[in-house]
Amino acid sequence: MTNQNISVAKVRDTLMVTMPADPDDVTVTIFQEEVLRAMEKYRPKGLVLDISVVETLDSFFARTISETSRMVALMGGRTVIAGMRPSVAITATQLGLTLGGTLTALTVDRALDLLTQPHPRRRLR
Amino acid sequence: MSDPTQGNISIRSENDIVAARRVVRDLATRLCFGVTDVTRVITAASELARNVFLYAGAGTMWWSTLDRAGAVGLELRFEDHGAGISDVELAMKPGYSTSRGLGLGLPGAKRLMDEMEIHSEVGKGTTVTVRKWLSK
Repeated sequence: MTNQNISVAKVRDTLMVTMPADPDDVTVTIFQEEVLRAMEKYRPKGLVLDISVVETLDSFFARTISETSRMVALMGGRTVIAGMRPSVAITATQLGLTLGGTLTALTVDRALDLLTQPHPRRRLR
Repeated sequence: MSDPTQGNISIRSENDIVAARRVVRDLATRLCFGVTDVTRVITAASELARNVFLYAGAGTMWWSTLDRAGAVGLELRFEDHGAGISDVELAMKPGYSTSRGLGLGLPGAKRLMDEMEIHSEVGKGTTVTVRKWLSK
């Protein structure tokens, strides 16, 4: 089984990442490294993580997402998780997952709106 | 050729966790579980398969279809010969973990499935069995 590649694209002032449908642990770990590297390289205002095709969000994946968003915050950026499917939201809640206060949006479009707002609704702690 | 009603997959690496998820996805989809239940079952399987890999290093996931008095469902049994769980009640507590995990695996998987049984013997290993029934 090959690792799915993660592409981190810089669009204007934002990093855009689309997670694959069923990422393995290695892919999830690579995602974190790639994002942090791109934060340093491009110095964007934030990160939009599109999870609209993600079918399984387990505790390892969720922990990596919330860790990454805290790391991005420490570097001075904001993270918005976009497009979680209803079935994934139901399952994540029953499993007891939280994303540690990471901003969320229904779509990538709205995530970009959130990132361009001058005052975020809430600061990451 | 009819579809198999049982099988197993060994869990020895992180890739096997993904492989186990795929097996469970195919099984749950074949039994006509709805999309949310398919997601629940796959996520529970992912947590339990990761526990096997994390705590025992290796083990096996046995899967089977269930048909009892007209009720259709699936059963997943995760078997390992690792250190075992010394206090199952404590391990079922949300937030309790002996690794650097979130402590959600066992209690979370229980909430996502309809039935769960844990048999564990210290020094011998652990078997976690979960079932999900197709609601009519």
